[in-house]
Amino acid sequence: MAESFRIGPEIVHETVDGEVIAIDLDNGSYYSLAGSGPLVWELLAQGASETELREALEARFGGVETIAEDIAALIQQLQENGLVVEAEPAEGAVVVAPASGEGEAYEAPRFERYTDMKDYFLLDPIHEVDTAGWPRPAA
Amino acid sequence: MPANPAAAQASGGDIADAYFELLGERFEQAVAAVHGVDPVTNTKRRPAGAGTLDLEMAGLPVRLRYAGDALRANLLSPFEHLAAGFAGDPVLTISAFDTASSGIESPTPLWEPVEAAPGTNPVVRLHSERACVLAAAGSRALTAAEPDAGEAIFHLPDAGAIPPSERAAPIREALQLLMAARGRLMTHAGAVGRDGRGVLLVGRGGSGKSTLALSCALAGMEIVADDYILLEPESLRAHAMQSTAKLTEDSAQRLAVPSAAIDPAGFESTLEGPAKTLVDIRTLAPGTLKRQLEIRALVAPTLRPHTTAHMAVPCGLGEDGPVLWPISAAEGLRAVAPSTIVQSGFGGGSSLAVLADLVRRVPSYALELSPDPAVNAAAVDGLVAELG
Repeated sequence: MAESFRIGPEIVHETVDGEVIAIDLDNGSYYSLAGSGPLVWELLAQGASETELREALEARFGGVETIAEDIAALIQQLQENGLVVEAEPAEGAVVVAPASGEGEAYEAPRFERYTDMKDYFLLDPIHEVDTAGWPRPAA
Repeated sequence: MPANPAAAQASGGDIADAYFELLGERFEQAVAAVHGVDPVTNTKRRPAGAGTLDLEMAGLPVRLRYAGDALRANLLSPFEHLAAGFAGDPVLTISAFDTASSGIESPTPLWEPVEAAPGTNPVVRLHSERACVLAAAGSRALTAAEPDAGEAIFHLPDAGAIPPSERAAPIREALQLLMAARGRLMTHAGAVGRDGRGVLLVGRGGSGKSTLALSCALAGMEIVADDYILLEPESLRAHAMQSTAKLTEDSAQRLAVPSAAIDPAGFESTLEGPAKTLVDIRTLAPGTLKRQLEIRALVAPTLRPHTTAHMAVPCGLGEDGPVLWPISAAEGLRAVAPSTIVQSGFGGGSSLAVLADLVRRVPSYALELSPDPAVNAAAVDGLVAELG
């Protein structure tokens, strides 16, 4: 069965103005997805496999040669950063692509990673935040 | 030690509930102690009072209880501008005590303490469905709360030596937890405006929020805060907390801040950048500090030169003046959400949806700062007037 994905457990995300903002609550890194990235993200969140993603984008933007390559590269980045994790495909799940805009042209996914919040986790004595994780009960 | 996360969570939950109860008992002991009698030796202690400070904060009746005058003077005084009497019971109550004033220690931790490396302040966090505990290893500030019940207890070793994190944002964790349970999101942003309407100043530490906010106050605009506000999402209102703001020495000089407005502790180093001091907005710009503003836009100050690709909006302030340009809602969200969320003790994830809704409802702008604070304030003032 084709491998599918789900959003990582520590990730919160919102789509605003056609851009996905995702924040990793575990380390404060945050990410922006633009171009066709938000469409890929939405389908991944529904449990799409890489094959289903490619088919959905090719059906929508037919004739673009780089789609398979772009999707593979984006999934690799998302996995490396813990934004998506592999998952068993949900039983009977149907992946539904969002409606396309008229005359919509293909844009390669754009992925940005921002790490400027790490200071808040590790260094900053003014903005104190957790670095300890779940505490262990006293012995 | 529990072998799996589920067991750890159950155990942590028990600890949080138990520690909240224990800390509450210690607070009551501290109140009895500072009233003059040591409960152990039955002898008179040093003179120090216990009392309450009733406030209206973010539209809610809030009671701050303290055991020891030093807490009132050094920790809670930045909330005095919100003082208000109310009939009936408070919705939120925060009780604060310190060992130096009362002789009462905090309960022995029920968890394995964490060592803080120099300059860091790791925080142990525990929670159950009912209670939350945050124990800061560096500052040794301790907060336990039952958010749904509207109750929190706060402890410091010595209110005569408040750690920088608490001086800059007193009892921040207690307020964040209790206010979140009442639909108010503690948001990392300043807020300034005119006639009850204004803008949020957003961006991470060091982006120029505080300097811009105080520039606006010195220009006679209304100010709610330089760094943290309580956001009421439905009404888009930004509510005030403490009356103090943080400034670098360079900014204090450029704003010509009088020495009377600068905290006697002077400038304390931070690892995010240059040393900062606290200034009291009530002294710096009398009459400008307000309880709330209705938010009409987000403004992200930037020290970077803008690129010509941006659609610059002329400010009518000449070629050397600041440049203000619209940015996308996503850029506005990137400026306000990450630092708000990483500073949330618990439940930061749900904050992103609230802030996303905010940037969908009001426009976002970037402001390239001029070296002249008055000119920057005029640009913000102009935008507020234009937004109506």
